[in-house]
Amino acid sequence: MSALPVDNDSAILLHPHKRGLQNLDRMAQYRDDDVVDLAVVGAGAGGSVIAQRLARRGWKVVVLEKGPFWDPDRDWVSDEKGAGQAGLYWTDNRIISGDDPIELGKNNSGVGVGGSMTHFAGYVPRLHPSDFEVHSRDGVAVDWPISYEELKPSFERVERELPVAGEFWPWGDPHGYPHKPHPVAGAALVAWEGARKQGIEMHVGPVSITNGRFGNRPHCTYRGFCLEGCKVNAKASPLITHIPDAIEHGCEVRPNSFVTRVEIDDATGRAAGVRYIRDGAERRQLASAVAVCGYAIETPRLLLNSVCRRHPNGLGNAADLVGRYVMVQGAPQVAGRFPELLRMYKAPPPEITSEQFYETDERRGFARGFSIQTISPLPIGWAEHVLAEGHWGLSLREYMRDYNHWTVLGILAEFLPLPDNRVTLADEKDAFGVPVARFSYSQCDNDRAIVGYAKNMLEQIWDAAGAMDLLTIDRYAHLVGGARMGFSPDDSVVDSSHRVWGIDNLFVVDGSVMPTQGSANPALTIMALADRWARLV
Amino acid sequence: MSLRDQAHPNPHRLEHVNGTTPQMVGRYPDYDVLTQVDHWDALTRRVVLDRVERVPPIRFFTPDEAQTLKAFCDIATAQDEEPRIPILSYIDEKLEGGVGDGWQYDDLPVDGEVWRMVARALDEEAGGRYADASEDVRVEIVHRFSKAELQGGVWGELNVERAWGVVMRYVVQAFYSHPWAWNEIGFGGPAYPRGYSAFGSPHLGEREPWEGEESVHYDPVRDAKTWRLD
Repeated sequence: MSALPVDNDSAILLHPHKRGLQNLDRMAQYRDDDVVDLAVVGAGAGGSVIAQRLARRGWKVVVLEKGPFWDPDRDWVSDEKGAGQAGLYWTDNRIISGDDPIELGKNNSGVGVGGSMTHFAGYVPRLHPSDFEVHSRDGVAVDWPISYEELKPSFERVERELPVAGEFWPWGDPHGYPHKPHPVAGAALVAWEGARKQGIEMHVGPVSITNGRFGNRPHCTYRGFCLEGCKVNAKASPLITHIPDAIEHGCEVRPNSFVTRVEIDDATGRAAGVRYIRDGAERRQLASAVAVCGYAIETPRLLLNSVCRRHPNGLGNAADLVGRYVMVQGAPQVAGRFPELLRMYKAPPPEITSEQFYETDERRGFARGFSIQTISPLPIGWAEHVLAEGHWGLSLREYMRDYNHWTVLGILAEFLPLPDNRVTLADEKDAFGVPVARFSYSQCDNDRAIVGYAKNMLEQIWDAAGAMDLLTIDRYAHLVGGARMGFSPDDSVVDSSHRVWGIDNLFVVDGSVMPTQGSANPALTIMALADRWARLV
Repeated sequence: MSLRDQAHPNPHRLEHVNGTTPQMVGRYPDYDVLTQVDHWDALTRRVVLDRVERVPPIRFFTPDEAQTLKAFCDIATAQDEEPRIPILSYIDEKLEGGVGDGWQYDDLPVDGEVWRMVARALDEEAGGRYADASEDVRVEIVHRFSKAELQGGVWGELNVERAWGVVMRYVVQAFYSHPWAWNEIGFGGPAYPRGYSAFGSPHLGEREPWEGEESVHYDPVRDAKTWRLD
């Protein structure tokens, strides 16, 4: 057992054999007209961390979460389709448009206590120091108003809490991890060998999956269903890493509560609380401060839907920046076919990574770069690969029968923040009568250049490894931006302490504040930003 | 063009011995994932067994739509004889439930309406009932649908390329969530609480004792490439 954090008891508040939370029966309950110290919108990576931190400091905190309070024993299934039927993904309608529309749902959007991390793969790399100053260094996008050094202690604290398993990490700011690396399955070893022959360095991890017992969280069983919700409690999500401790310190997490607007006191201009719908009834939670933690689609949607006399275009939107600069990462995958039975469905999907091509190299002809990671789609995901190359009928069936011979590498390409890649309100309304989000996305030339270069590199790795056949699918991963952090009200929605410009007690603490995204999966960065905010406030 | 004439005549007809696969085609003749149900958690076991034991009735589609779309699904997944996975029943169940996948293209209606329009368009293209057309015609129409080469009539109201993506997403989800399909491809299925111990490292190709052994007569990649339908 690795050392448990001294200021977060979540891992020992869990039951060693039951997966659901054990302290729900003693959770605080606040009344709607109690003026709580902080109302948090969304129990994901951002909202859960700030709730835990501030509850520990004695704040009265209520977290309003649109989805249910998950009990992995009761609610989650070890099945690819069943995970969607269980309601793990955000399936309320959203309209997608642009030259490169982004599919949402299971790919990047969660709901329920724990947020999208309940079904993320588990990769938790840090950003590199360069990510905070890409404009100064590379002449693209913008710099952050904070530096890597300011966020580094938060990265370290969160890595101990999840905890993160991996080899010593030589890229960016070199660092080690609290848990030793997981064993690597045969399917990933084949990829690793190909990379080695191409002179590409790969390392095991970093994943937020226990490698050894951690409090009452067991060791991973390598069953491969990370994206369907971990029934083992081995893979981290805020549901098990922060919410148990938050509850123990007086936080109320109120599930099935959909916040429809942030209310602004017309006299003072300060946030007075939130309006929300629970059990079909509209209610109002009063609060001294409000933190919006709804992620890159729902945070802008809520700010835009919260129009009032003082803010006729939505909160924080005086400069027409709410919903703009949303980013996804280019995440094409190339699969290779080998004579051996690889059975890639075993072991966690995330295994080995390279960040060798993360930074700008002018010889490549584009700014910034990409990372390389292994992925292991289950049969439905694999069928989407096969379909993407135009196979159906007998051809689909034959490629699918060959499933156990294939293994998959993917990239995460740093796409740049663009003003027209944005969330706006659609004409369509949801079941509560609230306008849904419209999300428009189009790549720029630099985005396309990275993806083209990186796909070619994956093909070379597979060739070097001896692959007999390749299949390629173009896809995207992750969502950040939409309420960017910046230097002034003219260039951003929030300041460097996450405060919405012009509204003293309204904050955005989630991935939507990120001005750029690097080639790193965003979960760790979102949690680190939340940790930092909780120390500042 | 017909499935039987143009393509390989069911390459791995190895008389699946234990359990069921769609059309009894498969690579793992002795492998039946359903013999492992006692190792699955009760919740997952119910969800998976329901797919075999409790096929939902058609409620979302009209009988005419269902007939057309069932014929389409059979061609799209090369299900030309029993046993068939009744994929349209699961698609109908999902659409009737009203919970989509979480997005809608701005140039397409909601998923259920896309399906209904595709049913109308298929009939229109077949010049009558799609299900009554010859196999050659049914295959040819799906081929052109997959290439977004269909136009006019109802097709003109759809982004055909995206509509193909929407309906096939439902089709493969219904097909490859079924344990008969797992038998066909040798997938281990649910793995909780047991997990895995043999994952090919350091012994590439190793398997759990209960996993199936593969049986092929020739290189399936070269084979698929010689007769791929596109």
